Amino acid sequence: MNRRDALNRVAILMGGAVSAPTLMALLEGCTPAETGSKPFVLSDSQRDIVAQIADIIIPATDTPGAKEAGVGPFIETMIKDCYSDAQGAHFAKGLDEVSAKAKEMGGEFLSLSQEQQIEIVKAMEEAASTEKKEKEAKEVDTETGKEKEGSAADEPVTPFFNLMKELTLFGYFTSEIGATQELDYVPIPGRFDGCIPLKEGQKAYALS
Amino acid sequence: MNIQGKAKEQNTFDAIVVGSGVSGGWAAKELTEKGLRVLMLERGNHVEHVSGYRDMMKESWDFPHRGRVDKKAAEEYWAVKRSGYAANEENRFLFVKDTEHPYKEKRRFDWIRGYQTGGRSLMWGRQSYRWNERDFTANLEEGVGIDWPIRYSDLAPWYDYVEKFAGISGQKEGLDVLPDGQFQPPMEMTCVEKHFKSELEKNFPGRHLTIGRVAHLTQPTEEQTALGRGSCQFRNKCIRGCPYGAYFSTQSATLPAAKKTENLTLINDKIVYQVIYDDELGKATGVRAIDQNTKEEVEYFAKIIFLNASALNTAWIMMQSTSSRHPNGLGNASDQLGRNIMDHHLSSGASGQIEGFKDQYYYGNRPNGIYIPRFTNWGSDKRDFLRGFGYQGRAGRSRGIPVDATMGVEFKESLSMPGGWYMGIGGFGETLPDESNRMTLTDEKDQWGLPVIEFDAWWGENEQKMRVAMRDEAVAMLEAAGFTNVNGYKDEEKSPGIGIHEMGTARMGHEEKSSVLNKHNQVWGAPNVFVTDGAAMTSASCVNPSLTYMALTARAADFAVSEMKKGNL
Repeated sequence: MNRRDALNRVAILMGGAVSAPTLMALLEGCTPAETGSKPFVLSDSQRDIVAQIADIIIPATDTPGAKEAGVGPFIETMIKDCYSDAQGAHFAKGLDEVSAKAKEMGGEFLSLSQEQQIEIVKAMEEAASTEKKEKEAKEVDTETGKEKEGSAADEPVTPFFNLMKELTLFGYFTSEIGATQELDYVPIPGRFDGCIPLKEGQKAYALS
Repeated sequence: MNIQGKAKEQNTFDAIVVGSGVSGGWAAKELTEKGLRVLMLERGNHVEHVSGYRDMMKESWDFPHRGRVDKKAAEEYWAVKRSGYAANEENRFLFVKDTEHPYKEKRRFDWIRGYQTGGRSLMWGRQSYRWNERDFTANLEEGVGIDWPIRYSDLAPWYDYVEKFAGISGQKEGLDVLPDGQFQPPMEMTCVEKHFKSELEKNFPGRHLTIGRVAHLTQPTEEQTALGRGSCQFRNKCIRGCPYGAYFSTQSATLPAAKKTENLTLINDKIVYQVIYDDELGKATGVRAIDQNTKEEVEYFAKIIFLNASALNTAWIMMQSTSSRHPNGLGNASDQLGRNIMDHHLSSGASGQIEGFKDQYYYGNRPNGIYIPRFTNWGSDKRDFLRGFGYQGRAGRSRGIPVDATMGVEFKESLSMPGGWYMGIGGFGETLPDESNRMTLTDEKDQWGLPVIEFDAWWGENEQKMRVAMRDEAVAMLEAAGFTNVNGYKDEEKSPGIGIHEMGTARMGHEEKSSVLNKHNQVWGAPNVFVTDGAAMTSASCVNPSLTYMALTARAADFAVSEMKKGNL
């Protein structure tokens, strides 16, 4: 396949919800492991929170949602194996913030009503957008309008919600449930029809 | 190790082929079919056709990282991962771990290798284009490098020959710039590709767009069926190995053909590092190798030797093959061995989106794209650089339609809808030969005690100028065809090697004083040694090179056997 096309496909298939570190990781692999680093591990309750947030982003409809598709454990595996320690720590910090917000609302995240959980996730989404803007502002000198040298974080980290969402979408649509039930999955097409009418109710193809 | 008597006899063949990739496979097929007893030596492990393709039937969810490169793999495959796809979870087992096979970079060099039976014929891009007449005359006309000792007409019958056997799907176009070949039925274009073709050819007279010419069977011949090969099933999982033998590889095509003759011996795990040269006889008598597992040294003997270890490793073997006649390496009186490294420069082009076509789609995963042949410095077109580039690209639909929701039911449902159409085209540009682009042997040794290569090569001024045009012409053509959000790019990070089309390190020429090989791919001063991989290339063209290696190999094998029969080798 055309090499540049790999990039196009990745960016487009991620529906635009893709950060620079993720795109880099997709294309060139992750940054090598730091020496003497601790592996990224979640506690049981953090695991449940991750799975629940994934399910809020991609809920069950007439097809199963992210939780049933195993997106929770997938996200943990990915952050442990494919992302820098700094990114893992930043993600864990985001989970702490989720728990803190839940406490303010009167309990554990998972014991809250669905509306309350969604409210927290939306707040994290808002926080991610602020975090991103702040980072961008920091990197541009307000006087000259030029990017400050060396100000771009050496280890760029993606905000909690953004990474959560990217990995949820990636994990869901490459899972067996996501690919075969939510998308049109054709394991062995047998032929290629280049230009055909779109059928009523046709879903997008799953990536092979 | 010196071996005599029976042991020597056991290790003696009519011909030795070093390497089992695209060109090595062809050498083995041609020589065995002409009745020679052939030993094929492969430095890597064996990969059996079909059963050795570990991941060919796996699905995305079978991979713990869904294809992505984890931190451990990123360290082990530090060069392979630069390609952007070769280190992916589902196919990295066919590429070498760079940590086990070190090399050095005076300037960054992206060396993407595959050491196993079949070499990179298992993972190649399969795009198969003939060179044109001017590709062979441009060096002479422009005073660049040295003149090719052959012309298109020398190779044309061999293109016919290899295309019929390999199976190339494509569309005849009648263009001088991209000569037609012996094609199986072409693959189809998507609706937006058809739109782009008609707009391009209308807006830019003299430019053309055709479906990619690709080494996939779309209508297998009897010969191909008899070898166990079937039609392409449009899964586009080619890089993992094809269970249908639908694309050309050593395993699917040349190896079964060579085996059928019962003249082939394939031995794996033998790292050939030297050609044994007899100064008195004035020719080579065999090769020396080290077993990659036991590290035992072994010698093999033959009347004819074909070096097909891939451009850089073939040069590496020749540089280690010194003798009184060849004090600076085999065939290296010119000091051109290891120089003139060429590749195709890429990662310059554009992509865009287009409105409409919403009620149209496609079916299947086409393992191929579209191709726009070179148009610069062709006909009346004149540029501030020499030569030109072709584009590879494709148009398809993305997944997901825009909605306000950023999570939840509506968001989920929007993501399973066929999205808008996009099109991308990326250039593959010709690189000029430059003798300062070179590889050398360092004092550093690998785990087998063999010298580690250092690369010192970069794109020249001509390539840099061409890259600007590669981007700007792509933007102009997409915009003229009604694409929006057109994004031109010119990625300067990508280094020589990234095209995985290494060429030029033992070039063909008219004279020993300026080249390493003669017009029959014979090494100067070692007439029974032939080099027919990328090393032989005197210039690079802008089209993908493998088909030309196939044709050069079949031609040289034919010559070698006729010379041997005449008693000249």
